[in-house]
Amino acid sequence: MNQTTPTPGALRELISFRIGAQEFCVDIMDVREIRGWTAATALPQSPAFVKGVINLRGAVLPIVDLAARLGFESSETSDRHVIIVAQIGEQVVGLLVDAVSDILSVTDDVIQPTPEVASDTAKTFVRGLLAIEGRMISLIGLERVLPDVVLEAA
Amino acid sequence: MDPLEAIRGTFFQECEEQLAELETGLLAMENGDTDPETINAVFRAVHSIKGGAGAFSLEALIRFAHVFETAMDEMRSGRLAPTDEVLKTLLRASDVLADLVRAARDGDTADEARSAAIVEELKALGPEGASEEAESEEDWGDFSFQPLSAVTLETPAAAGAWQVRFRPRADLYAKANESALLLRELTRLGEIVVELDDSELPDLESLDPEAAHLAWTVTVTGDADEAAIREVFEFVDGDCELEVTPVGGDADAGTAPLGDLDISALLAELQDSQVPVAPEPEPEPEPVAAAPVATAPARAAPPPTEAAADPAATHRKPEAGATIRVDLERVDRLIDLVGELVINQAMLSQRVMEAGFARASGVAMGLDELEQLTREIQDSVMAIRAQPVKSVFQRMPRLVREVAAMTGKPVRLVTEGEGTEVDKTVIERLADPLTHMIRNAIDHGLESPEKRAEAGKPAEGQVRLAAAHRSGRIVIEVADDGAGINRERVKQIAVDKGLIAADAPMSDEEIDNLIFMPGFSTASEVSDISGRGVGMDVVRRSIQALGGRIAISSRPGKGSTFTMSLPLTLAVLDGMVVSVEGQTLVAPITAIVETLLPKASDVHSLGGHARVIAIRDSYVPLIDVGMALGYRAEPLAATQGVALLIEGEGGQRAALLVDAIQGQRQVVIKSLEANYRQVPGVAAATILGDGRVALILDIDTIVAVSRGADSLRAEKRLAATG
Amino acid sequence: MSMTVLTVDDSRTMREMLRLALTDVGYRVVQAEDGIHGLEVLATENPDVIVTDINMPRMDGFGFIEEVRSDPQNRGIPILVLTTESDAEKKNRARMAGATGWIVKPFNPVKLVDAIRRVAA
Repeated sequence: MNQTTPTPGALRELISFRIGAQEFCVDIMDVREIRGWTAATALPQSPAFVKGVINLRGAVLPIVDLAARLGFESSETSDRHVIIVAQIGEQVVGLLVDAVSDILSVTDDVIQPTPEVASDTAKTFVRGLLAIEGRMISLIGLERVLPDVVLEAA
Repeated sequence: MDPLEAIRGTFFQECEEQLAELETGLLAMENGDTDPETINAVFRAVHSIKGGAGAFSLEALIRFAHVFETAMDEMRSGRLAPTDEVLKTLLRASDVLADLVRAARDGDTADEARSAAIVEELKALGPEGASEEAESEEDWGDFSFQPLSAVTLETPAAAGAWQVRFRPRADLYAKANESALLLRELTRLGEIVVELDDSELPDLESLDPEAAHLAWTVTVTGDADEAAIREVFEFVDGDCELEVTPVGGDADAGTAPLGDLDISALLAELQDSQVPVAPEPEPEPEPVAAAPVATAPARAAPPPTEAAADPAATHRKPEAGATIRVDLERVDRLIDLVGELVINQAMLSQRVMEAGFARASGVAMGLDELEQLTREIQDSVMAIRAQPVKSVFQRMPRLVREVAAMTGKPVRLVTEGEGTEVDKTVIERLADPLTHMIRNAIDHGLESPEKRAEAGKPAEGQVRLAAAHRSGRIVIEVADDGAGINRERVKQIAVDKGLIAADAPMSDEEIDNLIFMPGFSTASEVSDISGRGVGMDVVRRSIQALGGRIAISSRPGKGSTFTMSLPLTLAVLDGMVVSVEGQTLVAPITAIVETLLPKASDVHSLGGHARVIAIRDSYVPLIDVGMALGYRAEPLAATQGVALLIEGEGGQRAALLVDAIQGQRQVVIKSLEANYRQVPGVAAATILGDGRVALILDIDTIVAVSRGADSLRAEKRLAATG
Repeated sequence: MSMTVLTVDDSRTMREMLRLALTDVGYRVVQAEDGIHGLEVLATENPDVIVTDINMPRMDGFGFIEEVRSDPQNRGIPILVLTTESDAEKKNRARMAGATGWIVKPFNPVKLVDAIRRVAA
């Protein structure tokens, strides 16, 4: 709920991570922990971007391949991959990314609006853009990361 | 939190319990229960609500509860017979009382017209001239609770001096009243001068310690009036001689003081006078029944053994099991921890096996014992959460009355097996589907009284709600004695909505089950009563979400029965662990009839991927679990796998083909929906000994989908081309 | 040393009300839910005063008072009856059973404490 109420000038912390050559970030308030990749149990009847479920200290956690979710090529998972455990509303979800790179402290006025040219995927997930030391980092909103509640036909 | 607010919360919580008690009692009476304790319990429920409401000055609630209580008191004393008519009124009154309680809680106003109408009905039951305001002189408002510090003692207006002559009788002491305390109370009313009259005190040898020998004359000077003085002696009225006269007024009060004493001197004297007979400074109580132990001087300190031998001691044994109240969170935490323990124990077992310990080794045997213990701990912890379904069944009579009133169909609700226990979480989630099913049974199941008369049935329809334990699950039935499912019409609706082809051959059972199909019922044709566009498919989904199944059986002209089968707990499950295409899956053991290795000669293809397997005399569908879940595109050769013969809730059989069986295990159920969503074919997840997540199969859905996918798709195609 | 009051009432609301009023003036409060329970508590606690409701399941106030009084050890404990029923018949029955005094519900904390002071040191 923190990332959706930007106040000009307010300082916020973001965790940035890499997917392929691209950089993204999410609000640190949404991140519960970061852990290494462990093999997931595949879920039937699920979209390709849902890698399956893992055991996180007794809870069953779905793993979303963020690359696939954002419309990039899904990468072959390996031990080098990282799971960002994020709180999305009432649910806890694991986001599979290539690597976590940084913690950024920025004020809201540094975050630029997403340009109009953006694709549907970008409109769904990208909340804004940051230019940090010449790199472009997309701020991701996580509300729509999980597949829609409406079940796809069996 | 403000302590009074907290008590207010307690009050409303308690009201809910009392309301449930009230309704249960009235319903029992309606079914012929004439036990005075039942009537008493009903009276007590209303009485308690009134009492608490008084403390919080909830005027509307007090007034209604008072009239209700008066009627119950009439019944309790046998002046009002519990006829059907009377009980119907009382039941309606209990509904109004429930509304008033909730209105008071939420700060709303209840339906005043309805309340007033019932008040009139109740008054008509009561004694002649009984009034709603019968206790208004007690001025409830003034008694409401206020912090002590905010109240100052009123000083009575009348002034002057009073002479109080006070001679206790033995009865006064028998009731544990004490003269000294009464005299001390008088000091609060003004300045006092006390004379002791010990003229009747006998010699020690002839003193009866149970008798009263002393008397006092007290002169009170101050602002107190006679009433204030008499109030001090309120409790001992009748157990003493008491005269209160104004000083200097009546010549009658003219005994001259023998000597002045202050109160401490009096107390000292009072004690002194008793020292010879009893070392304790208390006045001599008189036994109610002259028990032999009460003779002086032995009574001074009865040995403890006597108390133990006292027949009264047997009454101290609790008649019902002692109970404690525990915060639900603590129980949930305990259940979570035990769940972790079970997983850990399984992991440990697996590691030990992998380490190559022999089955007969000390370590392995110790682990077996650990497993046994863990299981027992788990069962015991689960039992803490188990509750009788009564709490949800209790909500149904009111619903039935309301729906009966709305539809104009007289209905009798019969409940059975209210004491059947099931996990609290299951109970909580039963209310909605049950509500819907009961509405449905009355609205759609039962015929109008006229139609019933034509069919030669009693005008009053019956809805039966029953619960029972069956093979490790709880089975709940909602049955009506109505017309049964109109199969013609159901089929027509399904055809009209494009759910089935017009010429699709269907068994009666299949037609009946059409009502569970998504899209079968829509808002446009669902009446007000059966609910806001909610169809039976939603009921089925909510039952399935609980790991349950629902089936219907119907007989034309006789009625319909919905049968739900639910797990006793949402926390653990006995599972068969199987492998399918490299995945580990768990099948609930309760559904499995037997396992078998298919022989090529028993398996027959029906074209496409559809196969059946011959089991003894019958053919059952053979479903490849890997295909059903989309793990593989080509079916496994039947002889390469193992078949689990399963039986669904409706009795339908199927064989599930899996690659291999790993073993049987009790698994802890973990929700997939908590962090994800429902997955078709998957009931829940669990965590295995290796720490990985395994999916628990939803067998009924797999069977239904495999069947439905073939048959329904085929029929739709026919409908489209034909 | 503060005085111990045993309250016997089947209503949680009433028990909490009593506890609040009594602890407010420094009394120690022990509670029981009905007559039977009251006798059990009495076996382990030594209350200076008992405040009991009349209308209770399992064992009502009258039965409870009679049981208390039938034990010679408990004859000296003052018992106050707490009841909404202010009619003379109820009071008399309570007194016949051995009650020391009574308090009319819904009680005013001042009257409650007054009544206790009138029967206990």
